[in-house]
Amino acid sequence: MLVLFSVMSLLSFSQQKFTLSGTVYDNSSNETLIGVSVYFPELKVGTTTNEYGFYSITVPQGEYQIQISYLGYYSLSEKISLTANTTKNFKLIEETESLDEIIIETNIEKLNIRTPQMSVNKLSAKTIKSIPVVLGEADIIKSIILLPGVTSAGEGASGFNVRGGAADQNLILLDEAIVFNSSHLFGFFSVFNPDVIKDVQLYKGGIPARYGGRLSSVLDIYQKEGNSKDFNVTGGIGLVSSRLLVEGPLEKEKSSFLIGGRSSYAHLFLPLFDNDNTAYFYDLNSKINFRINERNNLFLSTYFGKDVFGISDNFVNDYGNAVVNLRWNHLFSDKLFSNLSLIYSDYFYGLTLDFVGFEWDSGITNFNLKYDFKHYLSDNFKLSYGINNIYSKFNPGQIIPNRPSSGIVAEKLTDKYANEFAAYIEAEHKVSDRLRFQYGLRFSNFLRLGQDELNVYANDQPVIYNAQLRKYESATRTGVETFDRSDVISSFNNFEPRLSTSYIIDDETSIKASYNRMVQYLHLLSNTASPTPLDVWTPSGRYIKPQILDQFAVGYFKTLKEGKYSLELEGFFKDIQNRIDYINGANLVANNEIETVILNGQARAYGLEVLLKKNEGSLTGWLAYTLSRSEQQTLGRTPNEPGINQGRWYSSPFDKTHDISINASYDLNKKWSFNANFLFQTGQPTNYPVGQYEIQGLNVPIFNDNTRNADRLPAYHRLDLSATLTPRKNKDRKWQGEWVFGLYNVYGRMNAASINFRQNRETLRNEAIQTSIFGLVPAVTYNFKF
Amino acid sequence: MKSLKYTTALILLFIFTNCEKVVEIDVPSIPPKLIIDAAFEVNFDEFPVTANTVVKLRLSADYFDTSIPTVTNATVFLTNLSNNSVINFNDLDQDGNYVPDVAFLPQSQVTYELTVIYNGETYKGEAMRVKSTPLTNVEQGDETLFSGEETQLKIEFTDDGTVDNYYLFDFSNNLFLAIEDRFFNGSDYNFSFFYDEDEITLPTTVTVKMSGITQEYFTYWRVLIDQSGQNAGGPFETIPASLVGNIVNTTNSDNFPLGYFHISETDSYQINLVEKN
Repeated sequence: MLVLFSVMSLLSFSQQKFTLSGTVYDNSSNETLIGVSVYFPELKVGTTTNEYGFYSITVPQGEYQIQISYLGYYSLSEKISLTANTTKNFKLIEETESLDEIIIETNIEKLNIRTPQMSVNKLSAKTIKSIPVVLGEADIIKSIILLPGVTSAGEGASGFNVRGGAADQNLILLDEAIVFNSSHLFGFFSVFNPDVIKDVQLYKGGIPARYGGRLSSVLDIYQKEGNSKDFNVTGGIGLVSSRLLVEGPLEKEKSSFLIGGRSSYAHLFLPLFDNDNTAYFYDLNSKINFRINERNNLFLSTYFGKDVFGISDNFVNDYGNAVVNLRWNHLFSDKLFSNLSLIYSDYFYGLTLDFVGFEWDSGITNFNLKYDFKHYLSDNFKLSYGINNIYSKFNPGQIIPNRPSSGIVAEKLTDKYANEFAAYIEAEHKVSDRLRFQYGLRFSNFLRLGQDELNVYANDQPVIYNAQLRKYESATRTGVETFDRSDVISSFNNFEPRLSTSYIIDDETSIKASYNRMVQYLHLLSNTASPTPLDVWTPSGRYIKPQILDQFAVGYFKTLKEGKYSLELEGFFKDIQNRIDYINGANLVANNEIETVILNGQARAYGLEVLLKKNEGSLTGWLAYTLSRSEQQTLGRTPNEPGINQGRWYSSPFDKTHDISINASYDLNKKWSFNANFLFQTGQPTNYPVGQYEIQGLNVPIFNDNTRNADRLPAYHRLDLSATLTPRKNKDRKWQGEWVFGLYNVYGRMNAASINFRQNRETLRNEAIQTSIFGLVPAVTYNFKF
Repeated sequence: MKSLKYTTALILLFIFTNCEKVVEIDVPSIPPKLIIDAAFEVNFDEFPVTANTVVKLRLSADYFDTSIPTVTNATVFLTNLSNNSVINFNDLDQDGNYVPDVAFLPQSQVTYELTVIYNGETYKGEAMRVKSTPLTNVEQGDETLFSGEETQLKIEFTDDGTVDNYYLFDFSNNLFLAIEDRFFNGSDYNFSFFYDEDEITLPTTVTVKMSGITQEYFTYWRVLIDQSGQNAGGPFETIPASLVGNIVNTTNSDNFPLGYFHISETDSYQINLVEKN
């Protein structure tokens, strides 16, 4: 820390420098643009706009021809005479707008090569919308699976896995708010309405110090603010759902609003049955943006999303997220940008089973305060710092009778409370033209707060090993401790260093290296291949320790043919302490003594990623290949205990050796554009039975404890195609229409979601049954804008 | 409360059941293990009280084998640990099913030790009779669940509020359900079981058996039902693992047997099921 400040004081002595700062907007909608490059070719220095479109750069006095460039937009070149601190806003024109005659080379890859930040992938809303997906629903989560190092457990599996990490290790942020459930319909669709999305970034490694709380990745999603120039309606009609987005100015160029809704059609999938049933989901996004003055901006955004299933009155299941978020951007000076966020977020899961006679609900609620500063000290030194405090309440579940005749006795599982505080400071430091660093430190403190009853076990051992029967068993609690809400049951403090560096070999080549430590205090209790909406989060405490990750990554980055192509090669190694696994036969649902089924272990993952991109021309796209391994180990606590898998390393459920994805989009002409993806993933680890026997007439497969996850499902692969038709008449009218035709899984491969073993009821023969989810699925979507 | 999880997975399965197909899989194999299936049932609500006390000995087979070998040359006996009296079991029919020499009724509050000697190795397990409660009513209902083709069976009984109870239901046709009284302790409890269309052919007669079981046996059955494929499927399937019972190989602990020795109190109810709309 001392070093940092001495560097800062040194810098402040520099003479004759002035600051150019401002905001970069989209010309037609006045939306701020994230990640726009502001570049001084004469000085070979530049910066990019932050999440709120703000940039600031301090350079020596002089006349410059500065370049403003952004992917998908026409670059701007402007002469600037810098003789004082200057505020200058820029407006960029989107390439799709009719300015065919002017062609300026977009040249933003250059800076990417220079910045120390590595292991990051960016997707624009436009790319996401053009990627063909099942049933024509443009989908962020399904799109990022096409990136190197990202896989999923297949169709109908929620979440995603980054560099061999679990789905609960992804920090998903929607306008800075944490989203706990990212999917609808158990994973078929993600909860993010593509019309509302402005910018998506996925950090897989070298994660900046401003992020924390999850180990594997950060999926940082920013929503649009709303068009502050014109009233606009965007929408789409698809096979599964329809979308509508209304945006417009409240006060022209000063404040705007946005309301977006998406809803599936009722009775989705289920009209096949003659029951009285419903199944649908919806999302509602809204945002109000006040530009109070040049220095102050206020944003209020909300998100509500829900899934509802009902089958007569016998069965009702609903779950969803709610997020309310108030943010205040304030410029203390043209060099000091700040953002204060107050966020409330809630995840709810509810289930009614009339035939058993109960209602069930569980969930998690949190209040999040964030204050982030970005200090643009000089053109070679930028400082970010801030604090973050999250107070969480966990409802692991409660059961209540749903009718007087039910016979169910109400029970509430003990609510849990926790507070997570973090403070960070991070510098972006350009040491020389060739060498840059980004170094930072995050300090996190986690307090498990008092709850009504905390289970106590003999010798503090909630799990005991039965040496005679050679199995782990749940201990019986010996009592409970009672606490006040303000008591601290457990406290954890961790320092999380982050370091990234880039060394520029020449204008087209750089090498980068990074190290980051991440700490995760929350655990998703899940013993399945992919998380279910029913899974509950549990905080670290007396019996469950925080997960700690150390990740090292190195990379080689090159642009080819003046930025026409780019090549990224990265290798990573991850080591995770305190990754939990479960004893055999563990029941995770409605378990008030969850610590009695948990064993503590570790995990590691390593791999190599290649990403070759074509950035320009009528054919663009990428080829991504990942070779990796993801493993877990759970040792016995004493030499007499075997642990899991005899204490040997075993594949994690999301270990995929090979992962290939190809995405290509081709603009044939103004009317037609085409898009294709191909995906290949090694089959998921699974367990095949080593034998069979009968108990009470029931045929049971035998599974071997010493070869956990040693078998594999068949490889997963598929090809998707889509074609977008933009009618010619669009040019002369306000109504802009667009047809998207899609074919998902073109060659109709029945990919195995799982293989189960059971006895056929008629033949009494044992069978292996493969379940597949989607064969060839055609889709058509109509999008409009006026 | 496993039902919570199943129903979530069930919806998925239901939407996509037509995407299932039988595939050829090469499965690994292990040397055969001794299977000891000794679930004694005391029909406590009958007069006179009778008991089903068969010890079934089998060997495990490769998963796709069409037959499961029986074990006919083992020595089987039961020791009453309160007075060390011994009851010998014999495989009279040479079918691997060992029955006691003399009619025998397991007593309450007595620990019994089952001993099996096979291939020079000795296997031992202990059990004590577990109390249960009679079924108050079993009747056919006319509601359905997902497909509209299920047959509803309504079950009613009164749970004993003074202790933690665990129950195993056998609905015939290899359909089992293990429940605990945690959420209905001491109440007149009623719930519905649904037969799927392919699990039953109407009209028919089924026997519903309800047994009081230990907590360990409950956990054992919960996993057993899961792994037998009755409820399995999809990405929500739990990672399967070996299922160890309560019987130990005292000669060579590495060669552990599978199966369970358990004594339950059981009540049976026979019901005619008919076609309903």
